[in-house]
Amino acid sequence: MTREATAYTAVMEVQVRLFGPSADALGAAHVTVRVEGEVTCLSLRKALGRDIPALTPYLDAGRFAVNHAFARESQRIRPGDEVALIAMVSGG
Amino acid sequence: MSVAAVVTVSVLDGPLPAHVPSALGEGVGAVVLFEGVVRGSEGDRTIDALEYEVYEPMASRELGLLASELLATHGVLAMHVWHSCGRVPVGQCSFRLEVWSAHRVEGLRATDEFIHRMKRDVPIWKRAVESAG
Repeated sequence: MTREATAYTAVMEVQVRLFGPSADALGAAHVTVRVEGEVTCLSLRKALGRDIPALTPYLDAGRFAVNHAFARESQRIRPGDEVALIAMVSGG
Repeated sequence: MSVAAVVTVSVLDGPLPAHVPSALGEGVGAVVLFEGVVRGSEGDRTIDALEYEVYEPMASRELGLLASELLATHGVLAMHVWHSCGRVPVGQCSFRLEVWSAHRVEGLRATDEFIHRMKRDVPIWKRAVESAG
């Protein structure tokens, strides 16, 4: 019996917390997006821009935080990580 | 008595209580105290309050990291930070920064840079609560 190899692409659902103007614009405190392959802040950014165009201005102006610390675009995101989009802050 | 370099950060619900001066050590020659107070207008709108949304524990962590960095780069002796979360009515204090230094120049510079970078980097947002009338 011959078996054919099947290629699977890993998909991870990532929940992203929103605050301030981005939360107001989306009417939600978080969004969830499916990211294929290796999940980094960069691939998350692309997936959010593709699936949720209303987030684009906040993605352009914002940075991600992973587990309460600002993250580089190359940082990997793992299941269970807390991810937040930090954009257009206005403290003081 | 000399003063050990120190950073403190407090995030409190609602308006900040009145400032209570701390006992200063011999090394301190200048105290810069900045207080941010909620204005009664945002642009051409009249408002009743500001509502602060604070992402904790990240906000406290970032405030502490920023203060520690500026403490070193400006050579100041202490930075004490207070910030409100939740609703703060017009006329009330929502942010306070107290900087201790040997001389005024480094204290004033540290104060200005702290506020500038806090408004750019620290995950705190405010929404205006407009007057009903």
